[in-house]
Parts: sequence; structure tokens; C-alpha cells
Amino acid sequence: MGVADVISVFNKMESDGIIERYAIGGAVGATFYLEPSATVDVDVFVSFRLQPGQSLISLKTLYDYLTRLGCIVEGEYVLIAGWPVQFLPISGSLSGEALADAVTVNVENIPARVFTAEHLAAMALQTGRAKDKARLLQFIEAGVLESRRFEAVLARHGLTGKWQAFKKAFSGQ
Amino acid sequence: MNREYEIQRILESKRVLRRKLAALPIKEKLAMLDVLRDRLLSIRKAAALNRSVLTREHPPEYKTDAGK
Repeated sequence: MGVADVISVFNKMESDGIIERYAIGGAVGATFYLEPSATVDVDVFVSFRLQPGQSLISLKTLYDYLTRLGCIVEGEYVLIAGWPVQFLPISGSLSGEALADAVTVNVENIPARVFTAEHLAAMALQTGRAKDKARLLQFIEAGVLESRRFEAVLARHGLTGKWQAFKKAFSGQ
Repeated sequence: MNREYEIQRILESKRVLRRKLAALPIKEKLAMLDVLRDRLLSIRKAAALNRSVLTREHPPEYKTDAGK
């Protein structure tokens, strides 16, 4: 049991129509581009197909489905293959774009959809906690960000000012 | 040896290690996440245990003339 099994469950949820689309974010998502760093949970961003007449998203269907698969719901987490997983419905333009642009990576015949490095970095900048800033620095140092693409994401989502402040604080630019 | 040089050399070797880890196949990196998580939880558990048995000594209150 491990993260790879968690990803298989995400794929099953998508093929069974429980979620419309998923993409892995957070520290696990960053691991697709950077060195692995310790984390206790998996953040997965999801979109749902709204039924006619439905305007609110309910996670109940998702939780019921996972419970039937033997997963355990613990507060806002669902324990899948030993990992607490947080399902984050898309909220806001940046995460919506990140989900639409997410890429599929093959993990030994298991397709795993993950945010692009540029979107992960932009979301880290937007969230702005100490660990997000550290992750953003990791992305910069690793040289995995395509700068023109990254700056276009920041501009589209009103993060250019925050980026300038970040650069000033952390790289003296 | 120059201390500044020594630090730069250490930082560079850390950078090299990070690059090496980042370049590993994704399956290996995901397996490492499983191990790292187990270690992190063990450390947190041990730290919580240590906190609960820690003896703390509180200094006596200072006596001042304030308020006289």
C-alpha cells in the first residue's frame, strides 16, 4: 500500500464517474518535479459533473463511494491505502486552470494526473505559508519552471505583484 | 581550509544530492514518499511523547518594589 495505490483509486473514481477530473497537487504533486519531501497527506483537486438542477457540490457521493471501497472517512480526510487524502473541489480561477492544464504522467503503467510545475509554483505563491515559500524556492532552484509560461500564469491570476515581492525578499532582485 | 569555501562545498554537495533525487524515476520517488511519511509520523509521535514527560523548572517570581 502506498501513494501509487492512492493514484489507482483516483483513476477508478474518474472512470466510474464519481469525479469528472482530478489532479494531484501539494507536496506529492511537487515530487513529480522535485526531490521527494516528507508529507503526511495527499492533496487532490477534483471537479464534479453537476446534475441538471444541481448548483451545489456535495462530497457525500464521493465519501459514500470510497466507504464502499473500504476507505475510512476521518473528518475532512479519507484514508486511502494508508494515506490521508484531502479532496479539494476546484475553487477559483487558478486551481480551475491548473486542473484543465494538468498533465498525465505514467507511473509504471498507472496514469497519474498532476498539476504542471508552473501551476504548482503559482499555487504555492498564492497560498504563501512558510512551507509553500520553501517549495517555491525549491522549484526555482531546481530550474524546472519555464519562466515565460510561469509569468503568464501569474499575470492571468493577479499574482505578479506577489511574485515581485517574493523575488525581492528571497533572491535580492 | 577557508571556512567560506567549506560551506560553499557543503551547499554544492547538497544541491547535487537534491538534483540526483529529483531525477530518480517517479515510481522510486513515490516509494520514498511512503518511507518519509512513516519516518515523519514516528518522529512526531516520539516528540509528542518527549514533551509530555519533560520536566520544566520555573524560576521564582522576582520581588520588586513596584506597586508599593
